[in-house]
Amino acid sequence: MSIERKDDHDHDAWIQEKDLTPVEQSFLTVLVWLDKRLRLVDYLELLETLYYRVNLQMPKSHTEQYNLDNKFWYWYPLYSLGFFSTVAYIVAAISGALLGFYYSPSAAAGSVDIEGATVAYSTVAAIMTDLNFGFFLRSLHRWAAQVMTAAVFLHMLRVYFTGAYKEPREVNWIIGIILLSLTMVFGYTGYLLPWDQLAYWAGQIGVEMSLSIPLIGEWVAQLMFGGFSLGQATLQRMYILHVFLLPFIVTTVIAIHLALVWMQGIAEPH
Amino acid sequence: MTDDNSDDTARTDGTGIVPPDDETPTWRERKERTTGLSRLTYEYFERSRREDQDLREESDYVERDVLAFPVWPHELIRNLALTSFFVGMIFFLSATLPPHLGAPANPSQTPAVILPDWYLYWSFGLLKLGPLNPDLAIIGGDKLLADRTYGVLANVVVVGFIAIVPFLNKGSARRPVEQPFWAAIGVMGVVFAVFISALSIKNLVPMDPHLLFDLTFLVPPLAGGMAYAILKTMREGYMYDLNRRYYKLRPPK
Repeated sequence: MSIERKDDHDHDAWIQEKDLTPVEQSFLTVLVWLDKRLRLVDYLELLETLYYRVNLQMPKSHTEQYNLDNKFWYWYPLYSLGFFSTVAYIVAAISGALLGFYYSPSAAAGSVDIEGATVAYSTVAAIMTDLNFGFFLRSLHRWAAQVMTAAVFLHMLRVYFTGAYKEPREVNWIIGIILLSLTMVFGYTGYLLPWDQLAYWAGQIGVEMSLSIPLIGEWVAQLMFGGFSLGQATLQRMYILHVFLLPFIVTTVIAIHLALVWMQGIAEPH
Repeated sequence: MTDDNSDDTARTDGTGIVPPDDETPTWRERKERTTGLSRLTYEYFERSRREDQDLREESDYVERDVLAFPVWPHELIRNLALTSFFVGMIFFLSATLPPHLGAPANPSQTPAVILPDWYLYWSFGLLKLGPLNPDLAIIGGDKLLADRTYGVLANVVVVGFIAIVPFLNKGSARRPVEQPFWAAIGVMGVVFAVFISALSIKNLVPMDPHLLFDLTFLVPPLAGGMAYAILKTMREGYMYDLNRRYYKLRPPK
């Protein structure tokens, strides 16, 4: 009896008995070596299943089956608003990461060419005037954000008017409202970052709004804005909210929202 | 498995997997032995699985009782086609309409126009509901809440109401014609959002601010009422068509 293990799954012997070219042989050897450690075949199997699934004929949807398509096709763009806001979010995330390479959230005195500019303002100005494609990059980030917000609002209206928030989907409706609010906070924190006049005075309104909250107002103002008057602390907090906290939170909540949609299917009016 | 192997003599060649002895619980036994919440969860899953099984067996439906259609492939393929167009639109907009960068922040000079971004106008408008904040005669005509606290609470009330809609409006009606009341509430909400947004930027709107304030509270109920009347009128013909098609497909038992 040999110490070597020999069974049906002796892959080396199998490779030996096949007449293989050097390329095939080395490919198989590497594949077997990796598969023993990483179970690659399972994942290949998943890919194979996917490959065959996409080649299947599309099953009929509810509307097609009952010949309601002639009544429904003009609603389809409204049904894609949710996905559209997700895509706009991805576009904003990518362009935002690129903008982050050049922006710095500092309220210290900035470029001497601009009267009263802070470093934050100067970096935004530099992105728009000096950086190649910087003008387009900021434009893209802003428009993606605007469009995402608009799409999210319209998505909510679509869900409301088609009654898609009903029975099994109440939880997702509430998650959606949380997401809508978070989207607006996202937009607000981003609005403050250029630190121009509009940003500064919008921040002022934010501080006053938080101060008007009963009982916890002062605490909220200090937590979110770093004090009762705007300055370096405010800008830095807005920056961290915008590029660190909110991306993690919003991405997670979007993932949950989409997972629920996936599990429950698309509610159809019928 | 356990019982078959347990009385075999121990293998000494080192090739076999050591069979579990009688004391080693199987995974099923371990699950069944656990107590507390995990035990309850396990039992519930078993129950609901059995329930599903029974329902499926006794059901005489051949086709699925459709409440939804799958995300993949129907929805995603359709969405990808439409969305790629929209993404092109984003690029077009950002190439043609670049963003504004105003003068740098200056704490000592309040600008004439202070604005949040457009999507916060409604919330900004709710902050300006001071005239609706009631004075109480008991406390000598003073206001119970400061105007701005009142405004913040108005925000909470609006968002809270939207959040509990699924628990107020139940039932299987989906289309606006099937539920004219809730559709009318929706129309009222949308019109109110538009007017309150206009109110928040009243110094930019070419209209008398007092008139605008009055319209903000008069037009939405009017629009809601009109939507209600129209939908009620449409309802009969619409439901007739719908029911005929539905019952032709699934005749009542």
